[in-house]
Amino acid sequence: MRRTVAVMFGGRSLEHDVSVVSGLQILHAVDPERFAPMPIYIDQSLRWWVGDELWHKESFKGGGPDRAHATEVALSPGFGTSMLAPVGFSRPISVDVFIPVLHGTFGEDGSIQGQLELGGCAYVGSGVLASAVGMNKRMTKIVASHAAVPIVPWLSCERSVLDRGHDWMRDYPAKVEASFGWPVIVKPCNLGSSAGVTTANDADEMVAGILKVFEYDVEALIEPFIRNRLEINVAVAGLDVPVASVTEMPVTSQASILSFSEKYKREGRKSIGSSEGMAGALRVLDPSDLPAEMRASAQRHATTVFAALGCEGISRIDFLVDADRGTLYFNEINTLPGSLAFYLWSAAPHYWTITELLARLIDRAERLRAMKRGLQRKPPAELSLL
Amino acid sequence: MRSFWPFMPILAATYLFLAWRRLLAYLRYFQQEGYEPLRFLRWVSVRSLNDPAFWLSIGAAFLFTVAPRTALVVFVAGAVFLGVAQPDPRSTGKIPLRLTWRATRVLAVATVFSAALWVFLTRGYVDRDLQAPLMASAWMFVLLPLVLIAANASLVPYERAVQRRYETDARRRIADVQPFVVGITGSYGKSSTKAMLGHLLQFHAPTLAASGSINTLMGVTRHIRDDLVFGHKFMVVEMGAFKRGSIRRLCQLTPPSAGVITAVGDMHLERFGSLDEIVRAKSELAEAVPAGGLLVVNADSPGALRIARSFGDRKVLLYGERSPEDLATRVEHIVFSRQGTTFTLRTPDGTYRCFTPLLGRPIILNLAGAFTLAAAVGMDPDVIVAAMRTLKPVANRLEVIEERGVTWIRDAYNSNQFGFRAALEVAASLPVARRFLATPGVIELGSDQFDVNRALSKEAAAVCDTTLVVSDTNRAAFEAGHREAGKEAHLVAVPNRTEAFRWLRETIKDGDAVILENDLPDLYEKSAGVFWKAS
Repeated sequence: MRRTVAVMFGGRSLEHDVSVVSGLQILHAVDPERFAPMPIYIDQSLRWWVGDELWHKESFKGGGPDRAHATEVALSPGFGTSMLAPVGFSRPISVDVFIPVLHGTFGEDGSIQGQLELGGCAYVGSGVLASAVGMNKRMTKIVASHAAVPIVPWLSCERSVLDRGHDWMRDYPAKVEASFGWPVIVKPCNLGSSAGVTTANDADEMVAGILKVFEYDVEALIEPFIRNRLEINVAVAGLDVPVASVTEMPVTSQASILSFSEKYKREGRKSIGSSEGMAGALRVLDPSDLPAEMRASAQRHATTVFAALGCEGISRIDFLVDADRGTLYFNEINTLPGSLAFYLWSAAPHYWTITELLARLIDRAERLRAMKRGLQRKPPAELSLL
Repeated sequence: MRSFWPFMPILAATYLFLAWRRLLAYLRYFQQEGYEPLRFLRWVSVRSLNDPAFWLSIGAAFLFTVAPRTALVVFVAGAVFLGVAQPDPRSTGKIPLRLTWRATRVLAVATVFSAALWVFLTRGYVDRDLQAPLMASAWMFVLLPLVLIAANASLVPYERAVQRRYETDARRRIADVQPFVVGITGSYGKSSTKAMLGHLLQFHAPTLAASGSINTLMGVTRHIRDDLVFGHKFMVVEMGAFKRGSIRRLCQLTPPSAGVITAVGDMHLERFGSLDEIVRAKSELAEAVPAGGLLVVNADSPGALRIARSFGDRKVLLYGERSPEDLATRVEHIVFSRQGTTFTLRTPDGTYRCFTPLLGRPIILNLAGAFTLAAAVGMDPDVIVAAMRTLKPVANRLEVIEERGVTWIRDAYNSNQFGFRAALEVAASLPVARRFLATPGVIELGSDQFDVNRALSKEAAAVCDTTLVVSDTNRAAFEAGHREAGKEAHLVAVPNRTEAFRWLRETIKDGDAVILENDLPDLYEKSAGVFWKAS
């Protein structure tokens, strides 16, 4: 019997559209001979929809799919039912495995994973803790540095400074000057995309950058801007042991940060098929001029961070290289990367198609669920009070 | 002849299909006119007599007397063709029809009315056999705009009841949450001041400010019900008015603790009748601010200053640039660049050097108003100045964009002469090769409209190498203005926006700048595409 695999996409974050593009890619990549894939579109109000129309990207243009041709559903209450209960009068739909492809807030941060855990569902990808920690750049840095992975130094500025007058506007520039100097990058602590990221050359720009972050997030991270920098990304798949992919180097037009539009809207040079999203960004796979030692370090550090956070599914771990010093730094982890970073598995030594990889991850998700179900839930005598 | 009666259902269905399409088309304009019958009728004029559907019905009715079968086929085929050829107002035009619940209700009732009336008229012609429904169709296609008005009128009691219920709910929410309400009114600059004040105050305390131009009782009611939650400390409400009493009703819904009056001038003069009437309408906000409450007023605007002087028991704070008054905030040293504006704010407590990515003198003045209010409610001025750097230009409101070597000054949402001049000033200050202006001019200025547009045309001629005057609305005034400037050859008249862009595409080169100033609603363009696709 083919198992029903529900791919969840959309959501309420800034990356709603990216999630739709990624989700549809994954939906079409699920092996239809082994599984019965189905889309679940989660709209901006976090209502869940199913229906045939949701298979097509065209349906999502101009305000999203026609709700009249879709059925609203909700995850059935009750642990272990793993059922989609229609809000109207249709029949419930049983789902074997969920694949959340929801980037950013309410999707990549453990929220949706928590909901699936409450339902006792099998799902592909990281659990609540790894997702939540992976979403928070400050927490990720702490975990990574604890695991002896090199990180870029940082300062953190919480939104509550706004409640305490304007001293912070002098204190933070002073801290920057005392620690790593100008210029700096100011970025939101909890967002997955490049939204709200600025480069600041002086105190005024940095303060404005922090305020800009506070439009999106409650915490800003300040890091030194590495002038001559390269980015290297590595994906890790959580199979029986975490496996690192080849490295990739996103190519930017300037020596600046990869901006949101560059990440998601540009045509690819080595992209696979007619995909979009992160798979469509300009990149070089397995750059030949990257020293073998650095490549190996990136792959080793990637699996270390993946394991330290307790990730599952596919994560993409991003590194920065200070080209002047030849130093590699862990930058951030995406526990639900765009397109599940499938383009990183198509090269040597793996040559895995996303379809094969998904099948393995679906199997593993079911095994993990079964394992969790098997955990002892019967309270010991001292806790049986009633 | 009786043998034709089986065709009746086909004729009825055909008529109903085309009538529904036409109602949909008219509804867009009825909605754009705020469901006001007289304004809508002024737009309709004799338009429905030009509807090919009317002529098709008349033609088919006459043909019926000589070739009945052919007439029926012609009518059915023609009506289906016209219905399909008509552009869908929900997805075309500058302001597409939004099928809100209200619009849907009006459309549904109008469709029922048009069917009932058609049956009534058909029965009146019953002796003439199937010629009757054809003549009834002809009448109906002429009367459809009136049917829409009647449908709307029949729904008034229901709409009022719904609105009252929503208002009560919103009022209760305001009373529970108790935000510090800042009302903003003025003839221009309300939306931008609201957006800027909301942006600045969010760094002080949780603030609710509606996006866009929500400024009507219904819009604000909905906004409160959807978005106001416990924890909001400030609520910034834009208060628009087309007649006296509008702002008073808004103030009853959201009693303001403070008010900002941006500028009082001749915007919507046509609707108000006189400047005094506008001043009285805008005074309603000041009246609603309690004694001792904050009233932040643009002293550069004589009308606004008049209001400030009438309410001496309020705590009046003035801001401005040129006013000789004793100002709480004075704007000085404005310098524009492609990146934004650098300026100084002088207050009794200190002088602040500011930068913002926004452009345009009126915008900077509005920002000074927002600064004055934010500082007066306890926000740290240094934080306000820092937050000014994070303001983002609103799309099409003096937004400067570089695209393939061409500088676009997009100011399509501006619709007043001051904004118009501000865009010219910014364009003049940017180092570019040639400057082009595309605009239909400004409207709703009553008897002053010609003179104002002539003056703007003259000023544009001094700044721009070529001006494209779009549509016939203000064409004569622009021609007069350019003639006075001795630059008739520098004016090009185009029928619509599409043509303007076509002309620009063929003409502009790297290093040029284009100002897109004001974009009239479809109502003011002749080829807006009611029955046919716009050319």
